[in-house]
Amino acid sequence: MSTATRDDRLVTIKEIVCDILEIEEDEVSEVSLFKEDHDADSLRAIEILAALEKEFGVVINQSELPRMVNLKGVYEVVSEPAGW
Amino acid sequence: MTAVRGTGTGPGPGDLPERHRVVLTGLGVVSSIGLGVKEFLQGLQEGRSGARPITVFETEGFAHANGCEITEFDPQDWIRTLEVEQLGRAAQFSAAAARMALEDSGLDPEVLSDRRGLISIGTTDGESYDLDQLVESELADGTGRFDPAAARRVPAGRLSVAIAQELGLSNVEALTIPTACSAGNYAIGYGFDAVSSGEAEFAFCGGADAMCRKTFTGFYRLGTIAPDRCQPFDVNRKGILTGEGAGVLVLERLDSALERGATIYAEVLGYGLNCDAHHQVAPDRDSVAGLMRLALDNAGVEPHEVDLISAHGTGTKANDITEAGAIRQVFGDSPPRTVSMKSMLGHSMGAASALGAIGCALAIQNRFIPPTINHVTTDPECDVDCVPNKAVEADLRIVQNNGLAFGGNNAAVLLGRYDSGVDHAANREAIKEAS
Repeated sequence: MSTATRDDRLVTIKEIVCDILEIEEDEVSEVSLFKEDHDADSLRAIEILAALEKEFGVVINQSELPRMVNLKGVYEVVSEPAGW
Repeated sequence: MTAVRGTGTGPGPGDLPERHRVVLTGLGVVSSIGLGVKEFLQGLQEGRSGARPITVFETEGFAHANGCEITEFDPQDWIRTLEVEQLGRAAQFSAAAARMALEDSGLDPEVLSDRRGLISIGTTDGESYDLDQLVESELADGTGRFDPAAARRVPAGRLSVAIAQELGLSNVEALTIPTACSAGNYAIGYGFDAVSSGEAEFAFCGGADAMCRKTFTGFYRLGTIAPDRCQPFDVNRKGILTGEGAGVLVLERLDSALERGATIYAEVLGYGLNCDAHHQVAPDRDSVAGLMRLALDNAGVEPHEVDLISAHGTGTKANDITEAGAIRQVFGDSPPRTVSMKSMLGHSMGAASALGAIGCALAIQNRFIPPTINHVTTDPECDVDCVPNKAVEADLRIVQNNGLAFGGNNAAVLLGRYDSGVDHAANREAIKEAS
């Protein structure tokens, strides 16, 4: 992933999130909220976390879930263990 | 068949029908803290822990993998009629526990085979251990290479049918109840209805589950597996340990138990169940409180009469705080002592509330309260007396056993010390009339 840009990674994250939340990619923005705007719940949040771990080969502590409220938050959380 | 309760008042419109008194006269236990009722009793009295590193499946890749696994079980010690290779691990547990319960009850299987009976066994996973293996072989070799014997073991209905076959009981309804983590209580409730109504003359009820990778992984992924031990109601509790086992209870009418001079562990006073479908995994406090009220009403018991609650008490943040809150809603600010046997047994899933009910019956009979082990500091948000770490002596007359499950499948059973002078069924009617 070292050659991927922030935009590339965001596209991948967006695909994962939209697949799990069963929403269209044009419905979600970097700051729209998974729970409030897209009807996510705690189980979906864990699904997203698990899929990100698998995709990017990282381990994300569940204590980070409160930060993973939108695509921007998810990017920040994943970027730390991934070293982006 | 006629009801024998001697109140002289028949059922009126809207009233519950008259019912026989139902007692527990045989107990069978396959657990991580002991096989058989004597070992189990001793384990509860000592506050034994069933926790150990999991060996039944590969745990590589998990940061921690303790569980309450059964290590010394040899199905051949108990299963005589069936070939054990035809039974999955959970069915081996259920058939073995049923054999133990039969022997403990002193009932003659030849006599039982002529009578109408019921077998109800609750489960969460059925034979998911076998499913794990089948999926693994499918991934490696494709579906064509399934082990046919393993495939035949999988249907969850085997958990109850295996008991009928093993004990030679052909005039029975054999039912497996798949309401997950409260299924043991559901099964006891169903048996109670069948015997108290006179539809069945006896019932073998309980629950069974075997550890499997699927369930461990699911709970692990939810962040609810504790790293090493289960600490219900503790401020630093970190979740469940998965467990396994089976508990089977023999239910029969009080008059038949008295007639044959059977040991009566306890009387089944009643039960309640509800399903709120509020959330897949999160328990709902109002619904759990409603469940306990249903059980108390069904048993003809007032909250202040309950001497002990055997909690669902999984040791997760969400369960313990929700359950303790619901207990306060029903029992007020001074609830009865509230213990969790899962601190010792882990979460044996479908077997959990059956083993809990057996623990309650033993507590009543042996006048003690099983402890909540691994306890350091009670969570102020739970604020229950969980009888930390050491069993205490107690004169218990009425005990409530809770079971809560995913999807809001909740069930509670009320047991009472058998006392020839007290008729809870009559109390129940008195309460109804007064309200």
